[in-house]
Amino acid sequence: MNAHKPEPLTLSLSVNGQTYDLQVPARKLLSDVLREDLGLTGTHVGCEHGVCGACTVLIDGRPARACLTFAAQMEGHDITTIEAVGRPDALSVLQQALHEEHGLQCGFCTPGIVMTFEHYLRENPAPTADEVRDVLSGNLCRCTGYQNIVAAVLKAAARMRGEAA
Amino acid sequence: MSDAFTEIGRALPRKEDRRLVTGRGRYLDDLAFPGALHVSFVRSPHAHARILGIDSVEAAAMPGVMGVFTGRDLDQWTTRLRLAPPIEGLQPTELTTLPIDKVRFHGDPVACVVATDRYLAEDAAECVVVDYEQIPAVTSIEEAFAPDAVLVDETLSSNMVSHQSLCVGDPAARRAEAHRVVSARFALHRHTHAPLETRGCVADWDDGRAHLNMHIGNQVPHPLRSQLAARLGLSESQVTVMSPDVGGAFGQKIALYREELAVAALSRHLRHPLRWREDRMENLMAAAHAREYECRTRAAVSETGKILGLELEIDEDFGGYCFYPANYMARVIALIMTGPYRIQDYAYEVRVALTNKCGAGPMRAPMAVTSWVMEGTIDAIARELGLDPVEVRRINALGPGDLPYTMPTGEVLEDVTPKETLETAVAAIDVAAFRERQARARSEGRYLGLGLCTVIESTTYGSEFYKSAGIPGSGHEAAWVRIEPSGAVNASVGLMGTGQGYESPLAQAVAEGLGVRSEDVTVHMGNTDIAPYGMGSRGGRGATAGGGTLYLCALKARERVLAIAASMLDLNDAGGLRMRAGHIERMIGEDWQKTGLALTDIARRAYLDPLALPEGVAPGLDFSHSYDPPAMTYSNSTHACEVEVDPQTGAISIDRYIVAEDCGTVLNPIVVRGQQQGAIAMGLSGALLEQVIYDGAGQNLSATLADYLVASPNELPEFEILHHHTPNQRTPAGIKGMAEGGVMGAIGVIANAVSDALAPHGMTIERLPLTPQSICALLQEAATSPAKRTQL
Ligand code: FES
Ligand code: FES
Repeated sequence: MNAHKPEPLTLSLSVNGQTYDLQVPARKLLSDVLREDLGLTGTHVGCEHGVCGACTVLIDGRPARACLTFAAQMEGHDITTIEAVGRPDALSVLQQALHEEHGLQCGFCTPGIVMTFEHYLRENPAPTADEVRDVLSGNLCRCTGYQNIVAAVLKAAARMRGEAA
Repeated sequence: MSDAFTEIGRALPRKEDRRLVTGRGRYLDDLAFPGALHVSFVRSPHAHARILGIDSVEAAAMPGVMGVFTGRDLDQWTTRLRLAPPIEGLQPTELTTLPIDKVRFHGDPVACVVATDRYLAEDAAECVVVDYEQIPAVTSIEEAFAPDAVLVDETLSSNMVSHQSLCVGDPAARRAEAHRVVSARFALHRHTHAPLETRGCVADWDDGRAHLNMHIGNQVPHPLRSQLAARLGLSESQVTVMSPDVGGAFGQKIALYREELAVAALSRHLRHPLRWREDRMENLMAAAHAREYECRTRAAVSETGKILGLELEIDEDFGGYCFYPANYMARVIALIMTGPYRIQDYAYEVRVALTNKCGAGPMRAPMAVTSWVMEGTIDAIARELGLDPVEVRRINALGPGDLPYTMPTGEVLEDVTPKETLETAVAAIDVAAFRERQARARSEGRYLGLGLCTVIESTTYGSEFYKSAGIPGSGHEAAWVRIEPSGAVNASVGLMGTGQGYESPLAQAVAEGLGVRSEDVTVHMGNTDIAPYGMGSRGGRGATAGGGTLYLCALKARERVLAIAASMLDLNDAGGLRMRAGHIERMIGEDWQKTGLALTDIARRAYLDPLALPEGVAPGLDFSHSYDPPAMTYSNSTHACEVEVDPQTGAISIDRYIVAEDCGTVLNPIVVRGQQQGAIAMGLSGALLEQVIYDGAGQNLSATLADYLVASPNELPEFEILHHHTPNQRTPAGIKGMAEGGVMGAIGVIANAVSDALAPHGMTIERLPLTPQSICALLQEAATSPAKRTQL
């Protein structure tokens, strides 16, 4: 085992439209850098092995696991986290639907689910319930049984299409 | 439900959602503590081994490392956990903070590294060299009880850490006179809670004040504080427990775990804030496991399927350590086994084994296996006697005329409706139509099955229950309600939510009692300096114990508020007054009319003009109350589910899932429905997929979420929920509690449905989980030995 403290790298990260100049060890995960170095704690860590989806962020607009990504790989990419999607007093359409449909309990899985579907609904404005379940299978939720999350995504999709729901 | 309620029963969306859905929740690992050191544990690679030596010289010299500590170090700074309640047949046990001489399971913590950052702490933990001498591992109940078994705990006389039995009436005589004696077996496998947020804590020792600030996601902040203080030799005034938002717990965040105590002790020793968050592998291997049971029943029955007597044997695999008295979970199973049925001659024997696995603890519905065992027994009776399983249920079920009903164990059922929920579920599923579909499908080589499962769910345990169980402790809960000078309403209770969504329903209980809008009530939980000492959140006690106490406390506050209002209105008494939405109303003629007086006016007088208060009324508006619920409250439900089993792949698809549930008065239907869905999902996930796997050497083979499978939305159906609302006559507002029955019903109903589907193969499900592999193996075995009924 290497007894020397690894030298940190200097890098520049673009997160939620802002550029951060940071010094972080090469092995530090994007999830840890977001949470610890940038204080963006809305990205949660549930497994650190790519299964649970709690750490989902958007990299160049596409969902990705922040726990399977080194921050050092992210120079030149645009990262979007939950902090850029809605605020408590101004929920996004999807967040509002999750609230109305009781699509969350402990809420630990929720930011990852929001990031997954903020992207998905942009590309698939009229999904079926089965399609939503399929996409949602990349995000574990231990609390809800998923039924209300599916209902919320469908409701949000309808509203985004301009249909009353 | 009473129509008189205006706040209780409202479908009020959850108050916590806005912060959680935007990523603004604050979970343990989101809290910043500048300069905090990080802790990582060195864990045993063996299931059973002596610790001959621990060499930490290399690790201690690594960058950022502040120290490496062992069980021997921690033993100087903490007391041991001795569990010795005066329960017959229970061997006393004692635990050190970390093992000193011997490890008892794969993942047992043996040393603890403190470093400036988590990555460095983990690097160093890998470099701590532990010299082990392996001992044969005990990895099953059978091995544990073998006459020459190696002892898991060498201070005990055997691995049978607990053994109890009871015999009521004369089951042997019933068996002798019975038309038939029907035997059945049920093996439930090892589960683990797997909350999405793993365990963790921040211990922040304030050296100037000699005070421990313990930040930890926990269900029972006050009992945890008592434990921490006792084990650290501190007074309870020297410890504050603060629980932030919690990402799920399901029973895993109740006990004071050894890691947490070690972190607290080291924070004091090093005079520095310390933080620890376990990784997923540690959570799956070493936090707590649950539910590993082997149960056998023998039912003496009449020709019509009436149960004359029932005998039950339960063996539990408890793992290597007792964080709870070892009879704690299995005893409740035996106590409520007869549940919805009229049975008076009953005997049980419960044996609990220590093995070289992670210690067991309560997991959402610690008594989960109960309903499968009872309802599987009912199905076995129907099968052996060639009767309709619905009829066998009907003939034995408790109806309104039987209540209150004293079970053979002395437990009293009142205000429950098992017969009614059965009929609701049976009607909704249309059994006759299903049987036709099933027959048609069978002729096409397709296997449909229908399962039923009626549940009696023990929800709220009062002090009387603990006393009769011989467990020191209380079932009471405590609350305060405070109306501030501005008229703002604050309240607090000893519960701590871990995702259920307490903030709206508990505000509703306060609002109902006081006469304000729920939106205007804030309930504070999780900080032991703010909340009154309560017993916290476990089982289904939140609504009855927590909501009930808050409701009673708010009634007390209302009485004072109305007395002051009466004097302000120059009335002799408050008889004709009420408060609605914070406004005082007066009955004039047949009508309630506004008086123009509001809670804000009364608060102003109580705090800012107290000399104007009526004689004998003290200044301020500050109320507290404690309440001890009945010995036990019960909810009930009937689950019904239709499945199709694909004999080629072993896959099970759930075509329809119905539950008819009676949980009394509902504080908030949105939250209750969410709990019903979540509980059923957890039960199905456990029955179909989840499994903690140990190999014969005690190696844990299910330590990632790719191995320990939790259901995704593709495996779970939509749940149809049908409601009954029979209030409990003995609790405040008629609340009963709920949130665990769904697990109990789901496990039983899916096993029964799959048995029904596979009946043409002569098979019965006697062992869970029902993975595609296990179904295929069963079918294969049935094909090769078609004559005998198959066990997995
Ligand atoms: S934390 Fe990244 S997938 Fe679980
Ligand atoms: S809400 Fe708790 S994990 Fe999804």
